Amino acid sequence: MRRDSSSLDKLLENPRVWRGHSQVHATTGLASGYEALDRHLPGGGWPQCSLTEILVEHYGVGELRLLMPALAQLSAEDGSTDYAEPGWIAWVAPPFQPYPPALQQWGINLSRMLIVRPKDDSEMLWSAEQALSSGTCAAVLLWPDVLDDQAGRRLQLAAEKGNSWGIAFRPPAARAEPSAAALRIELQAGGEGTRLSILKSRGGRPAVLHVLL
Amino acid sequence: MAAARHHRSSRGLLSQRSLALDEPAARPQILTAPVLKRLWFCIYLPNLALEASGPGDEARVVVEEQHGIHRVLLASAKAESAGIMPGQSANAALALLPMLRVEPRNEVVEQQALEHLSSWLEQFTSLVCFAGSGVLLVEIAGSLRLYGGLLSLRQQIAAGLEQQGFNASLAIAPTPLAATWLARSGRRACIREPANLAAALRTLSLACLDWPNVVCESLTGMGVRNIGDCLRLPRDGFARRFGPQRLIELDRALGRLPDPRTGWRAPERFCADYEMTEEQSDRELLLAICRELLLSLERFLLTRQLGVQSILFTFFHLRNSATQLRLGCANAERLTDRWFDLLRIRFEKLTLPEPVISVRLRGGHTQALRAESGRLRFQGKALVQGHGPCFSMTQLAERLVARVGDHSVAGVTTVAEHRPQLAWRSQDLLPGKTAKTLSTIKSGLRRPLWMLPEPALLPVDAGYPLHQGRLKILEGPERLETGWWDEDGIARDYYTAVNPCGMRLWVFRNRNRNASWYLHGFFG
Repeated sequence: MRRDSSSLDKLLENPRVWRGHSQVHATTGLASGYEALDRHLPGGGWPQCSLTEILVEHYGVGELRLLMPALAQLSAEDGSTDYAEPGWIAWVAPPFQPYPPALQQWGINLSRMLIVRPKDDSEMLWSAEQALSSGTCAAVLLWPDVLDDQAGRRLQLAAEKGNSWGIAFRPPAARAEPSAAALRIELQAGGEGTRLSILKSRGGRPAVLHVLL
Repeated sequence: MAAARHHRSSRGLLSQRSLALDEPAARPQILTAPVLKRLWFCIYLPNLALEASGPGDEARVVVEEQHGIHRVLLASAKAESAGIMPGQSANAALALLPMLRVEPRNEVVEQQALEHLSSWLEQFTSLVCFAGSGVLLVEIAGSLRLYGGLLSLRQQIAAGLEQQGFNASLAIAPTPLAATWLARSGRRACIREPANLAAALRTLSLACLDWPNVVCESLTGMGVRNIGDCLRLPRDGFARRFGPQRLIELDRALGRLPDPRTGWRAPERFCADYEMTEEQSDRELLLAICRELLLSLERFLLTRQLGVQSILFTFFHLRNSATQLRLGCANAERLTDRWFDLLRIRFEKLTLPEPVISVRLRGGHTQALRAESGRLRFQGKALVQGHGPCFSMTQLAERLVARVGDHSVAGVTTVAEHRPQLAWRSQDLLPGKTAKTLSTIKSGLRRPLWMLPEPALLPVDAGYPLHQGRLKILEGPERLETGWWDEDGIARDYYTAVNPCGMRLWVFRNRNRNASWYLHGFFG
């Protein structure tokens, strides 16, 4: 018996053995403000320095409310972030006008808001990539019409480079497409609260949970 | 002790100030302006007309029309060796050397060359003056120590002139006129003490003075050959015969009378052209040319401690009208790399109708540069962990504006206003212009995160508003009845509603005219 466990240890030391958990970053996530969600996310919160995809059918089901506590924390001026100055939040090609009074109610620092309205999709991706890799934006929200595998990978790399958090909102049809995002979440609103499915989570496990937004 | 202090105080402001600190009850003292010792460095360019039109060692002459005949003004070394002399007619010169390139004199080009040279000389001194054709005067008394003494400064200037292809005659004297005359005479004179001036000027011939021919001829007729002879003439008689101006000039040259000069100021706007010998359509090459122009812009701004906020590139074509490309920065900027970065983004999308023959770079209004302290290395997560180049928000905004357009990049702020559509506005991202958010909305009020640009009319089914299904009212109404003092007065009841898809909507019903339902936002 004893010999067995030592041989197992030996086997695990072999560099050719890949273990999923070794991928987990030591870094902690950014608390989402929703305990149920935090429990299911590796690191206890939103993964930083990476791309998150949120698949949503209709706007207005709580996709922004889900992010607001985290964004408020990032843009806060009280020095609770690691940034020398509060991080900027870039909105690239939002489908409607983000409404400042409501953002303020959620605690977002309005002087750190950057809204970019590109004319087409290539400009959108370029702007998002610039914002992500600049090292100035703590979070970059984007609403691409199409996001192919290559573009997704570029955004993921840009987020890593600029220590930024990219959040792409996509239709549920994108579910079947491969994605380089570290986290993929699908939101479905129903009568009894919002159903949140974690489709892919780097270092975590897929899950389905209900969050009251 | 008091006498010594008194003596010291008249020398300069600094010692006077310290004296005032020592003795609070000091009597008011009359300060005499300290006598500035000046030293003038004269650069005389005898061959300017030839050298200004460009380098080249082929046989060429510059001609000028005199009494209807084109006469040779200056001949290059090769032309002179063929026997061509200044003063010959152009035809005679061509007969001597049929291959000769004959150019008419271009005074505009000469002036440009002088200005170019002056802006180069501004690195040595703050006072550069134009003094007649082909003469530049530089005041160097204040620059001697910085440039390692008179000899070293002289060598630096002489080497620079030679490198730029100018054949110059240099002279140094305590008065501007003496320096000019000595330089014209071709002597490499260097006089530091005003007492030695008279002796040095005495032997200069009248030709160095640049006086009108009539005066020189009549003086020569009187047996006066040099300045020493002039000085020996009785002063009142000299002034009566040749005008008081000549006497004043002599006195000024000798330092008996002051000779104030106004310095030349470089234009505060940058403009430079890059002419190509043939049309170019290679974009990489054009970018390299633009970079070259930007580098000269940086040098121009650096010597003045200035920056510009906008620059304009003009690409000239042979047949089509020129293509323009305007770049702007959030702050006054001079660094080539910053501008080049923006240029590259815009140049990618620029369409040139045909090949380019010349590029012009024009700087906007210059502004004093405001230095900004950079972040320390240990500050900021981005700098410590970042792998790539990080830039500031201003730089990011500039890049985005360069590509996406000016009105497509903005910040937001709230406005103290009850009408929801007026309770916010876009604002500039430029630092310093970002106003602090002034108003805060009451926390009890429900406001949607998404706002529609215009309220959308909702269809109604059996009294229920529809938006992808029948709406269910969750909260409300919140009555907003305001703005009656202007055109946009509203009287609305706002409700929070939810539809079968789970979307939370912000809807309202007009109270006055028609009772139809409108959608104004989503709760996001």
